[in-house]
Amino acid sequence: MPWTPASTAAPATGGDMPDDARSIDCTSAVRQLWDYLDGELDEPRMNDVRRHLETCQACLPHADFGRRFLAALRDARARRLMPPAVRSRVMHVLSQAGFTDG
Amino acid sequence: MSDPRADGKAKDEGFARDAIPWMDDVYRFALSLTRDPADAQDIVQETYLRAYRSWHTFEPGSDCRRWLFTICRNAFLRAHQRSRHEVDVIDGDAESVAAARDHRAMIDDGTDRLLATLDLGPALDRALDSLDEPFRATVQLVDIEDQSYEAAAGILGVPIGTVRSRLFRARRQLQEQLRLHALDAGIHGGAGHGGRHA
Repeated sequence: MPWTPASTAAPATGGDMPDDARSIDCTSAVRQLWDYLDGELDEPRMNDVRRHLETCQACLPHADFGRRFLAALRDARARRLMPPAVRSRVMHVLSQAGFTDG
Repeated sequence: MSDPRADGKAKDEGFARDAIPWMDDVYRFALSLTRDPADAQDIVQETYLRAYRSWHTFEPGSDCRRWLFTICRNAFLRAHQRSRHEVDVIDGDAESVAAARDHRAMIDDGTDRLLATLDLGPALDRALDSLDEPFRATVQLVDIEDQSYEAAAGILGVPIGTVRSRLFRARRQLQEQLRLHALDAGIHGGAGHGGRHA
């Protein structure tokens, strides 16, 4: 079943949700999720999304999934290592250009 | 009057301190652009040679890795004679909402939990290599090299909005590849149930 933002399926005004979590709805939170996980929002909007995720059961799994996905991507750093021969070759070319290391 | 030998020594010390330590990072970025280790090696060599010869233009204290990434990107464009001016018409907000819809589908069918049990590395690497170059470079800079949207925009020579839209589109494509990987591995989701590992 396609995902429907809770705010359109049902108003995000459940009794369990504190007042300050109603400042943004699910659509707004989802729209800003990547920016939030990337730390690219300004502080008030970071707080808005954080508060929403802390209390919205519909949106929390999205954030968890996004975090796991981004962590897996970051791990690519360790998998894509430069072969030692490349460093040796670059250092050799630099030395021919006049560079002296140490 | 400055001493040329002392100036040269200072230049080399600065280059060794600020530029050399980023060679692994530059290689990863070059590899993400070329997808070919031999071509990446050539680009890294060209990048460092140009950086050394242009060291006088580097502003001490600024972000040397970002500077090297920019030189690397330009070296790649020169080598492949590509235009720096690319226009994207992707809507980042629409991509965000579409990504959430895809997440929901994966959460509903249990794929998200199953993916958490797999070794995603090889599948992610293949998925990364399958992206078109502008998307691959953006993911590499932001998601792997931890550059801000603004820094990536500067390196790639595109507006921040373009970085954002490329990034979100690329992440959706990567997630779809991972979902297919889970299916190819014989993993069947099912809300509330586990599954066998690949």
